[in-house]
Amino acid sequence: MRTTARLLAATAVAAATIGLGAHGAYAGDFAVLEVFPSIVAPGAIITVNTPACGPGGRGVGNARALGAGEFRLAPSTHKEVAVGRFTVPHHTEPGTYAIEVSCKNGKRVTGDLVVRHDKQPSGRVHTGVGGSVGPDTTQIAAGVAVLAAAAVGGTLLLRRRASGAQGS
Amino acid sequence: MSAKGNGWFIALAVCAGLWLVQNGSENVTPPVPSAAEAFAAGPGHHTDAAADPLPPSPPLRLRIPEIRVEAPVTGLGLDSEGSLEVPPAADRNLVGWYRDGTPPGAKGTAIVAGHVDNAKGPSVFYNLGALKKGHRIEVTRRDGLTAVFTIDAIEVYEAAAFPDKKVYGPSGRAELRVITCGGGFTQQTGYMGNVVAFAHLIGVRPPPA
Repeated sequence: MRTTARLLAATAVAAATIGLGAHGAYAGDFAVLEVFPSIVAPGAIITVNTPACGPGGRGVGNARALGAGEFRLAPSTHKEVAVGRFTVPHHTEPGTYAIEVSCKNGKRVTGDLVVRHDKQPSGRVHTGVGGSVGPDTTQIAAGVAVLAAAAVGGTLLLRRRASGAQGS
Repeated sequence: MSAKGNGWFIALAVCAGLWLVQNGSENVTPPVPSAAEAFAAGPGHHTDAAADPLPPSPPLRLRIPEIRVEAPVTGLGLDSEGSLEVPPAADRNLVGWYRDGTPPGAKGTAIVAGHVDNAKGPSVFYNLGALKKGHRIEVTRRDGLTAVFTIDAIEVYEAAAFPDKKVYGPSGRAELRVITCGGGFTQQTGYMGNVVAFAHLIGVRPPPA
């Protein structure tokens, strides 16, 4: 299905290119809506252009299908092509959406936009190397301190006993 | 104190010291979430209603008061194998979010990851496995709003059985995943999986006046 979508998109782009190249003679007849990029993830900014609106022509695009509302097309630096932009909302579900443009001159053109979510991460995340795993040095140090104190105390006690025994 | 009393006291101290040394010598691992925090144990008493999603805005800071996490957020992409990148390990107090995905608070599933430790010791999410259902996670965003999430479950997954769809899949509400390493540790394999906190948006705090 993905391959089909790519093929369709490629065909659309190719057709658009032909449409642009053949401008003078075929404007209108070959009019298509170029959607770029045509396969995107949510959040992407999409540019559409078409020669259908005629030289210096304007139009209104409809991207409501994917929740992006309407957008305007204005003449680009190449005056024969009208250009518009919109953003694919972050909540757009995966699928193929028709983008429709109505030109001021009455022509309507459509193009497809494929929204994919498969740019999600996959698999485990490598968020640790084990540097926190090991003996509890604080606890060992505390234990050693307690043992040392006991040794000192024990020595003093034995000495006192020994001197006490001598004294009696 | 009598000499006999002193003797007993010293014997007790020796025992305590030996226990501390012996117990401290065993390997200490990061907290492991209990079975009660998994989805399988049910929602418990924490079923806070979902709040309406916010417009997208990138996250700046993440707070988890229960485990005293307060960290800046950096952007993460995907590596060549499609796995989520991780923040630079040298920074022990830094978390990352998947910047091509949903921003926390917006509709969809926002992904946040941080290290449990680095080569030198514990890092920002060392205590992630100690969290419980109903604990809060707060994300302050560039638009000034703080998105408040509540934890629905803490799960542990083996690397080989990581449920991509459950963790990364889309959602109709504003959800958050917080991921770190866990699931057992051996010197040979390192951490054997991931600890994942699942949360959903329950409220929004305006910027402090």
